[in-house]
Amino acid sequence: MMNGIQQTVTHSLDMNEQTLRDYFTKTPDLIYCHLFIGEPKRRALLIYFNTLVDKNSINNNIIDPLLFETRQIHTIADIQLPIGSKSYTTKWEHVIQRVFQGETALFLDGDDHVLLLDTQGWPQRAIAEPQIESSLKGSHQGFIETCEKNIALIRRYLPHQQLKIEETTVGRRGHTPISILYLEDVAHPEVVQELKDRIEQIDVDTIINTGELMQHIEDNPFSPFPQFLLTERPDAAVSNLLQGRIVIVVDRSPSVMIGPMTFITFFQTVDDYSTRWMIASFLRLLRLLAFFMAIFLPSTYIAALSFHYEIIPLNLLLTVGESRERVPLPPLLEAILMELAIEMLREAGLRLPAPIGQTVGIVGGVVIGQAAVEAGIVSNIMVVIVSLTAIASFIIPNPDMSESIRLLRFPMMVAASLFGLVGMVIGFMLIIGHLISLESLGTPAGSPFAPARLRDWKDTLLRFPLWMMRTRPLSARPTQLRRQKKFRK
Amino acid sequence: MKRYQFNEITTMQYIFLISGTQVGIGILSLPTQLADLANTDGWISIIIGWIISIIASTIIIKTMEKHEQDTIFDLSRRYFGRIFGAFIHIAFVAYASLASTTVIFTAIHIIQVWVLPNTPNYLIMMLFMLPGFLITRNGARVLGRYAEFVFYLTLWMPVLIAVPLQKGTILHMLPMLKEGWAPIIQSVKTTVLSFLGFELAFVFYPFLKEKKHAVKAMVIANSISAFTFLLITITCFIFFSPDEIPSLIWPTLSLLKTIEFSFIERFEVIFLSFYLFVMSTTGIPYIFTTVFGISQLIGKKDHTIILLVVVCIFIFTSFLYTPPFSHIQMMGSWWERYGLWGAYFFPIGLFIYTSIARWFQGGKKK
Repeated sequence: MMNGIQQTVTHSLDMNEQTLRDYFTKTPDLIYCHLFIGEPKRRALLIYFNTLVDKNSINNNIIDPLLFETRQIHTIADIQLPIGSKSYTTKWEHVIQRVFQGETALFLDGDDHVLLLDTQGWPQRAIAEPQIESSLKGSHQGFIETCEKNIALIRRYLPHQQLKIEETTVGRRGHTPISILYLEDVAHPEVVQELKDRIEQIDVDTIINTGELMQHIEDNPFSPFPQFLLTERPDAAVSNLLQGRIVIVVDRSPSVMIGPMTFITFFQTVDDYSTRWMIASFLRLLRLLAFFMAIFLPSTYIAALSFHYEIIPLNLLLTVGESRERVPLPPLLEAILMELAIEMLREAGLRLPAPIGQTVGIVGGVVIGQAAVEAGIVSNIMVVIVSLTAIASFIIPNPDMSESIRLLRFPMMVAASLFGLVGMVIGFMLIIGHLISLESLGTPAGSPFAPARLRDWKDTLLRFPLWMMRTRPLSARPTQLRRQKKFRK
Repeated sequence: MKRYQFNEITTMQYIFLISGTQVGIGILSLPTQLADLANTDGWISIIIGWIISIIASTIIIKTMEKHEQDTIFDLSRRYFGRIFGAFIHIAFVAYASLASTTVIFTAIHIIQVWVLPNTPNYLIMMLFMLPGFLITRNGARVLGRYAEFVFYLTLWMPVLIAVPLQKGTILHMLPMLKEGWAPIIQSVKTTVLSFLGFELAFVFYPFLKEKKHAVKAMVIANSISAFTFLLITITCFIFFSPDEIPSLIWPTLSLLKTIEFSFIERFEVIFLSFYLFVMSTTGIPYIFTTVFGISQLIGKKDHTIILLVVVCIFIFTSFLYTPPFSHIQMMGSWWERYGLWGAYFFPIGLFIYTSIARWFQGGKKK
C-alpha cells in the first residue's frame, strides 16, 4: 500500500503530516486542518476529503467540541466526540483506506494512534420507486447507490438475528464494498461458501455495477440465460432471502444480485404473492405463454410459410397469401427485417430522453409499421406477428431474461427457415438440453422440473394459495425446509 | 465408495429414462406388425410381453445388485476376466451402436417421408447431432433430467392419440381370441422386442441414487411403456378396420392424419416434429451407452472426445450413404434379433453365471 515509506504511524505529528503530503500529491480536495486542543494546548491534525464528507458533521461534531475542549488530553483516547462510529488504528494502510471512504482521521502530536471518525457524506439520490421493475401492490421503495441504505431497506423487512451480513471488497483500485446477506439457518452453508470463494477470486480494477460482478462469478458464461437475478426491489430481495437464497449488495450500484436462481424464478414477481392466487396463476401462465411466443412466433410464421403451408387452414392461407402478394422478400428476410427494426426502435427509445423517445415510438409505429405494409415491403401478418412478439417479450418480468429471449428468437428464425418445424423442435431441444445442464452456484437451474420436485411445482406454472406453500423451494438447497405450519384448512 | 456420486439420477428420472428408451420408433409401426400376426388380438400379446419384460428387467436388477457400483462393462470384466470380459464389453457397445444407428436413421427416414421431403439426409443428421451432442456430453445426470422433462412435455400426445377413439368401432375388437392362442403367442416375440430399452439398466443402474427402489422403478417404467403401447394399438384397432391396418406402414401416423381442427390442418406434421422429442429419448441413451462403453474400454474418464468422434462418424456416414427403407427395416430386424439375445437371454445367463460364481467363491467378498 505505502510504497517506500514506513507501515505504521509515528509519534511525531510533523513526520506524519510529511508522510501524508508525500503520499497524497495533487489532491486538492484533501484537507489538512491544524488544531490546538485541550488545556494545556496540544497540536492535532484533522485530515479528510472535502468531497466525501458531511461538512456539517465535521464542523459541529468534531471541530466545535475540539476547540472548546478544556480538559487535559494525554492520549488520543481522552478525546470525546459526539460521533458514534469511531475506531483507532496505527496502520497507514487503514488510515488511507478509510479516508478514501469519507472518514475523518485525527492525529494527535505524540501519539501513534489515529482516531478514525465516521463522517461519510456524498452525493446520493433519494429513495424512489424502481424504474424498471415497477409494481402495482408491492412497496414503492427501490434500492439506491449506497450499500448502507440498501441494507437498511432489507433489514426493515427482516428484523431477525439470523439475517447475517458478511462484508468484503472487490477490486484493487476501486475497493468496491460488497455485502453478502443470507439467513444463516436457511441458506445452505456450501452455497454461501461457494459464492464467497468465487467473489474472493475476482481480481479486477473495480466493479462499477452489479452486472459486472454477476458476469465474473456466474457458472456458465457461454449461456444465453442469466444465472443470477438482478433486482432493484427490496421486497423481491427479502422474498428470495426467505427462500434460502443469498443476496449480494454492491455499494455504488442500485441493483442487488440474488443467487442461486432457477429458470422459473425469472418469471415470478413479488406482485404474484400479493395478488389473489387465481389471478396470480393466470398471470404466471400468461408469462409462460409469452415466453413461448417471444421465442417461437416469428419462427412459426417462417416455418409455416416456407415449409408447411399445408398446416394452415385454407381460409387463413388465402388471407396470408393475399397480404404477401406484393412482398418480394422471402419470409425469413421479411421477419428478420422487421424484428431488427423493432429491436432498433426499442434500443433507440431506451437511450433517448423521454420526449424524443415518444417521437421514436410514433415514427416507428406509424411510419415503419403502416408505411412498410403499404409500400409492399412486408406483409400485414408479419407486422402483427412482430408486434405480438415484442409485446410478449415485454411481459417477462425480468429484463435480463427478456433480453435473452429476444436474442434466442433470431437463431430460431434461421433454423425455421432451413428446416421448418423440425428445425424449431431441434432448437427447442437445444434450449432444454442447455437449461437442464445449466447450474447457478452449483444448484440445477432446471429445478423443480428436471430434477423434479412435485411439491415445488406449487410456485411455478401456477401459484397455489399461500397457506398451501408450506415448504421453501428445494432448488436453493435450504437447510430449513419448513416455513410455516399448517394453520388453515 | 461411490463412483458416480456427482452423476446420480433420481428414481423418477430413472423411470422416465428407461420408459423413454422403450417408447420410441417401434410404436409407430407396432399396430401393423401385431395385426399381421395376431389380427386384433394383438393387444393381449402386449400384456404378455409386458410381463416378460418385467421379469427380464427384474433379473437384470438382481444381477446388478450384487455389485452396486458396477456397470455391465465393469461386471463383465469382473466375472469373465480380461479377454472374455472385453468381448462382452465390445458386444454390448456394438449392440448399443446398432440400436442408436437404427433409431437415428429411422428418425431421419420418417422425417424425410413425412415432413421434409426435399432436405438431404446429411443435413438432418447434422441437425439431430446438435442436441445429441449437447445432452450426451453431460453424462447420466443430464440424460435423466432430459428424459424427465421430455416426459412432461409429451404428456399431451397420448391424449391426442386417444381422440380418434370416439370415431372408432369397438366391434373391430370382437370376437376375442378369434384365431386361438397360437398367433398371440407368435406375436409375443414382436411385442417383447418393442419393450427393448430396459436392458440399458445394465448401464444406468449404478447411477441410480436410491437402489432399493430399482425393481419398483423398472416395473413402473415397463408399465408406462405398456400403457402407451396398449393405448395406441387399441386405438388403431378400433379406428381402422382389421383389413386396413396391414396395408399401413406407419399406422400411428395415419391415425393422426384424421385429426382435424378448425385452426390447423395436417396435424401429423406438427405431431411428428414434436415426436422428435420422444425419438430423442430413445436414441440419446443408446448413443450415451455406446460412447460411455468405448471410453471405458480404452480407459478414458471423459467421454467428450469419443462422443465427438462418434458424432463425426455419424455425419460422415450420412454423407456417403442414404439408407433406403429396406435397409432401415433390415437394421431394425438386426437390432431386434440382437436385442432378443442381449435383453432377454443374456441377463438370464448372466444371472445364473454370477450366482454360481459367487456361490463358488463362498463368503469371499470382493
